[in-house]
Amino acid sequence: MHYRPGRRLVVVLLALAAFALPSRSQAQEGARYRISGMVLQSSGGAPLAGAQVLVRGTRAGALSAANGRYTIDAAIPAGRYVLQYSFIGRATAPREIVLGAQRDVTVEPVILAESAVELEELVVTAPGATSERRALGNAVASVSGEAINRAPATSSVGVALQGKITGALISVGNGQPGAPVTIRLRGNNSILGTAEPLIVVDGVIIDNTTDALIGLSTNATRGGAGMSSRLSDISPDDVDRIEVLKGASAAALYGSRAKNGVIQIFTKRGQNGSPRISWGTELEVNEAPNLLELNTAPTASFADVAIAAGSGVTRPDGTPLQVGDPVTRIDAQNLFYRTSTGVNTQLSVSGGAGSTTYFMSGAYRNDQGILRNSGAQRYNVRGKLTQQIGEKLELTGNGNFIKSHVDLLPEGEQGNGVLTSAVFTPTIFDPRFNESLGRYPYNPLLGTNPLNAIENFDAPEDVTRFIGNVDLTYRLLDNLRIRYLFGLDDYRQESRFYRPPFSESATFAGSVQNPIRLSTSKNHDLTGTLESRVSDRFRLTSLGGFRYTSQVTDVVRSGADVLSPGQTLVGGATQFASQSINEVRTESFFVQEQAALGERLFLTAGANYEASSAFGADERWQLFPRAGVSFVALESGDNTSSLSRVFSTLRLRAAYGETGGQPPSLYDRFANYINVGYAGRAGLIPSSIASNPGLKPERQREIEAGFEAGFLSDRAVVEFTYYNQRTTDLVLNVPLPASSGFTVQRQNVGEVVNNGVEAALNTINLTTDRFTWRSRLSLGSNKNKVTRLVATSDTLIVGYLNAVIEGQPVGVFYGGQYARTPEGGILYGDFTNAAFPGQTLKLPLRLRTGNVNGDPVNTGTFVNGIIGDPNPDFTASFSNTMTVGSNLDFNILFDGRFGNDVANFTRRITEFFGSDKAIEREINGDTIPLTYGRSPSGRINIYEEYIEDGSFIKLREVSATYRINQPWVRHLGASSMNITVAGRNLHTWTDYTGMDPELNLFSANTVAQGVDFANTPLARSFVFGVNFTF
Amino acid sequence: MMMTQTFRRLATAGAAALLLGGCDLDLTNPNNPTEEAVITNVEGVYALAVGLQGQFAQSIEDYVLPSALVTDELGTRTRSLLSYQSLYTGQNFENTYNIVSSPYDNTYAVVKSANTLLAASAGVGLGANLQGGIRAVAKTFKAMALGMAAQSFEQLPVDIATGGATLRPRAEVLDTVIALLESARADIVSVPDAELTTLAQRVLPTGFTVPMLRNTIDAMIARYSLQRGRNQQAIDAATRVSATILPSLLFTAPTRNPIEAVAVGLQYLGATTNFVSAAEVGDRRPAYFVQTTVARVAGNPADSLSYNLKKYSTQNESFPLYFPDEMKLIRAEAQARLGNLPAARALINEVRTQSTSSLDEPVAGLPALTDAQLPNLDAVLRQIAYERRYELFLQGLRWDDVRRLPGQTAPTFTFLPLPAGECTNNPSAPC
Repeated sequence: MHYRPGRRLVVVLLALAAFALPSRSQAQEGARYRISGMVLQSSGGAPLAGAQVLVRGTRAGALSAANGRYTIDAAIPAGRYVLQYSFIGRATAPREIVLGAQRDVTVEPVILAESAVELEELVVTAPGATSERRALGNAVASVSGEAINRAPATSSVGVALQGKITGALISVGNGQPGAPVTIRLRGNNSILGTAEPLIVVDGVIIDNTTDALIGLSTNATRGGAGMSSRLSDISPDDVDRIEVLKGASAAALYGSRAKNGVIQIFTKRGQNGSPRISWGTELEVNEAPNLLELNTAPTASFADVAIAAGSGVTRPDGTPLQVGDPVTRIDAQNLFYRTSTGVNTQLSVSGGAGSTTYFMSGAYRNDQGILRNSGAQRYNVRGKLTQQIGEKLELTGNGNFIKSHVDLLPEGEQGNGVLTSAVFTPTIFDPRFNESLGRYPYNPLLGTNPLNAIENFDAPEDVTRFIGNVDLTYRLLDNLRIRYLFGLDDYRQESRFYRPPFSESATFAGSVQNPIRLSTSKNHDLTGTLESRVSDRFRLTSLGGFRYTSQVTDVVRSGADVLSPGQTLVGGATQFASQSINEVRTESFFVQEQAALGERLFLTAGANYEASSAFGADERWQLFPRAGVSFVALESGDNTSSLSRVFSTLRLRAAYGETGGQPPSLYDRFANYINVGYAGRAGLIPSSIASNPGLKPERQREIEAGFEAGFLSDRAVVEFTYYNQRTTDLVLNVPLPASSGFTVQRQNVGEVVNNGVEAALNTINLTTDRFTWRSRLSLGSNKNKVTRLVATSDTLIVGYLNAVIEGQPVGVFYGGQYARTPEGGILYGDFTNAAFPGQTLKLPLRLRTGNVNGDPVNTGTFVNGIIGDPNPDFTASFSNTMTVGSNLDFNILFDGRFGNDVANFTRRITEFFGSDKAIEREINGDTIPLTYGRSPSGRINIYEEYIEDGSFIKLREVSATYRINQPWVRHLGASSMNITVAGRNLHTWTDYTGMDPELNLFSANTVAQGVDFANTPLARSFVFGVNFTF
Repeated sequence: MMMTQTFRRLATAGAAALLLGGCDLDLTNPNNPTEEAVITNVEGVYALAVGLQGQFAQSIEDYVLPSALVTDELGTRTRSLLSYQSLYTGQNFENTYNIVSSPYDNTYAVVKSANTLLAASAGVGLGANLQGGIRAVAKTFKAMALGMAAQSFEQLPVDIATGGATLRPRAEVLDTVIALLESARADIVSVPDAELTTLAQRVLPTGFTVPMLRNTIDAMIARYSLQRGRNQQAIDAATRVSATILPSLLFTAPTRNPIEAVAVGLQYLGATTNFVSAAEVGDRRPAYFVQTTVARVAGNPADSLSYNLKKYSTQNESFPLYFPDEMKLIRAEAQARLGNLPAARALINEVRTQSTSSLDEPVAGLPALTDAQLPNLDAVLRQIAYERRYELFLQGLRWDDVRRLPGQTAPTFTFLPLPAGECTNNPSAPC
């Protein structure tokens, strides 16, 4: 192996130093103490059951019983300790205790009051490492399973996260049942590679590729074009909580794949006790919230006349249709959308006895899409077993089997897309089955008949997947735990796209594609955690670990053209096949040291020394360090500090970290040879892409700083984070002179900076015995800027208009602009058109070199410019939770984006091809023409005209859950029953003229965002659910 | 305690397995062979030699089209690309067009492949004769690529160089081309065909024999010597070329003749009206190349009409590397320029009066011209230009013909500009 032994040695030595200090790794034997006390809800109030009490710095702890009492019985060395109390939504100051000669220690009753602060929670920041939130220098967003499932979004966990992670941009590209979710945690850090975060489920790194096997919305060759998301395989019902590491300062120990952040999903586990059976079912009703407004004018326009012959429309006497003739119109949208229903049922059994706990669940989802003949089914089975073996060994096995099936339909830029057809075709075309032709009429303009596509195309996608792990924790010493985790994610995804012969035109001979993706990801984590008390005021938590990961993706594509009738599988005269395999392995050693000083000041330092097979031997080993500091300036309930006049709690924090990114292609370091056969012989030629053995990981350096401040006895808490991410060494295509024998080389040259703030205000607005109202307002603002590109090609265009330009945010819209007067008004020119004798048409002019400075002379070559930015200026969400009495919960979530532009390509086409409602204006004599028949084609290239403000506020979730606490429920054998009524995406407030500003043709593409082009809108969903617990 | 020990052993074993067994990070590329796997063995060298020929064959359209569009060979249809139309009309042309970069880029990709093959052929234990044969293939295709590029560009690098090569005047490029071809000839001239059976079986495709390779080398020496003005060298080489074999680039399925793909498949191009109307009455050659009896198709510019192609109208049609009559016309022109007009006239008439052929080649079927009809050098050269126009349609040679021979309609561009990419990325490019 060709690593640098020096660096590796340093890390190994660091790890040894952390663990091998003889004074630390000895068992810290202590006497047995009994610490007891009581937890109350309010002063003189009711006892609080289920509160967690922990002796900080040890593993000793207990839960309060129904009477509020707790007893901790543990062997602890004598000394000063802090007792920490935690309960969701409540908080109190920790209590100091002294363990000395007295073995029975009684603590004063403690009041855990309603609080908006949550500092005691444990969060995961690295493979095998947990930390209290209060000790972290970086922010970690966490979302509870309860919040995920409040308004059930059974399609995808990603959908359920919308509006719940401060600052993150989570979008669904289109409303088909595959739910293609794209997530940007702190802006975009990539150009050629993916910008999606790493997904980790129970410590298993899962594959979350967004690349399409078949391009059904945008072409598969564009990255991130998938119509389904692998995140949608996870059943939301199994989720216990989700923790999000947004950037390098939090995710450094995840190393070279964590540049875009990490989403950690933790699934439910059993609790000791008698079996708890939970059965629930939800009925969903989905509908398309709004349709495109198409032309309903009673008379024919030029565009109608142009397609009349092809559509079989004539005057009653059989002569050609003329402008102004009465016509019958059909809005095809009414023929392909429907109000659809879905059902989601889940059953779980969990419990535990003695040294065994278990959780088993099964879920079935069946969702009709809002497009006829689309839909999704998913089966999930999970089993998790935790077995304590002896005093020291704990073994957890966890397996999740998933089978899913999605029926999709083409749309977007696909010529045979369903909505695409409606967008391109004037509404005099009747797409319904024509008895006299014996078939669906062919689309007169381009593309296919949308109803024929719905009825006769077939585009299913089947996934069979297993995600599981084995997790062994061994307490070698009281304060030293060794953990080994093996994670496996293995799936098979088969897509198919069948179009029968003569379904698109009289010359179309049929086509079937049948690609299969086989993906296997494995990770082995071996970690050791050593907790030690150096003194009463100083404790250390050391982490050392080794991780090995591998991921292999094997894509086999087969297909056939020229099909005989009824032949729906690959076969026949013209067949094709190809295969590609991508494999990456990483190996890393990591260490981390966390010091707690007086339980107030926390310092963290760590490093990950990682190698990836994607890089050459000389660049393979990379060091990703991190450091953080957290200072709890004021504890909850502490009235002695002068800070307490303003604050009720205050914590300040700062962190720094580095992570890496993989290259867009794993084999760029090799001098590859390409197959070029000649006249029946196999041949090879050198690739025109020059190899780059010196390629290294993209690297992100992030610094973040922030605070949490509680006010009014923690009834209001402000969280604030500032971050600065600089991602360097981005791999880009650097053009080479052809006379070098190559045309391009991938090099580490690009640089992108993200600067932003995230703020949240958690409040308890009202709390009485009968009513509690909590809310969370979160705001995020990110400024993205490309600071360095390839010097010789300073503009990369991705998709249609999205550009990467030095000095600009990634993905700005770049294209044709209006020629304007010096005052800024649009410059119009006069045109005549033979089809409109005697009329002078007014047409906006496209900016040329001749009138850059407001000069009206419209000559020279066209000048493109930056005409919009799809990145929002800020995002906001506002979540409210109300509890009425003890049985009714009510939630409402608003989610908004502001200052983001959308390129409305749908409108561009409906206007140009004469299917838009606006054509009615033209029919009524407006001399500013829209349709292609009247306008010289230059106009359609003034893209500025189609850029719109896409700011929106969505009523994302509304839900009400009522616990029925009646004797008849118990007669049924249930201990409780819940009824939920919920809605999702109920309303959108926006000035955007299209169907939905959240849609994106290019789905999860890294650069191409904010393009609306004939995509199925996101459904408005209503859910009715019941849940029984036995 | 037992359990502790067992676990310790297991953990140690597991860690050791992880550290030693599964951690090979030196993965190879499963999708493509890499250089080490190709250039180090005989099979890899054969594959390189095959790939080189295929690469040149797939580039032929990029060489032929600019020449055909700037001269009077091809016109553009309404569907054709803007770049094709600007070459045809001479307007709104930009050096960012693929039609500019493709012939340039492909040339140096072929040169790169040929150089790789030349270097690899030395060290893998091929016998001297086979090595000579493979070297001859490498040099011939490298020379043909550079020679074709020299039809379109006024200055070119004569070889590749890291970071971009220095450009040389066209004459120097042609000198390099001729030297490469002479060297290729020397590699195999004294090797009998029987010693090159492996070359025929493993490197050259079925349908392209060793004699075809020898004839191609001589034909190319003749072609480029004439363009360079080395008339005697051209005559000597052309005389060595057999009139009864027709070496071609082959496009067996699944590959497709790229000229057919663009002109007929995409319906971008057709033969100009002038190609048919300017022919002598009775000249049978236009109908060999063009569907003269099928109605012309409207084009862009709107007033242009063009004929559908007949040659290159089927997907797997081969492309002749040269027609044997080109050799006669090369000799005629070289003799004329050397002052030997009678010899030139005789050769012109040999071409004109041919009325049958065993090969798939155009035949004129015209009467011979008298000495009075070809009274002087100028008239002879004009007549040679005419015969070349109808013998060598879409051979990529018309552009140099109209530059070299008198009395021809000026092309819309004299040469292609240097491609934008090369301008920007090659520090030694003069633009």
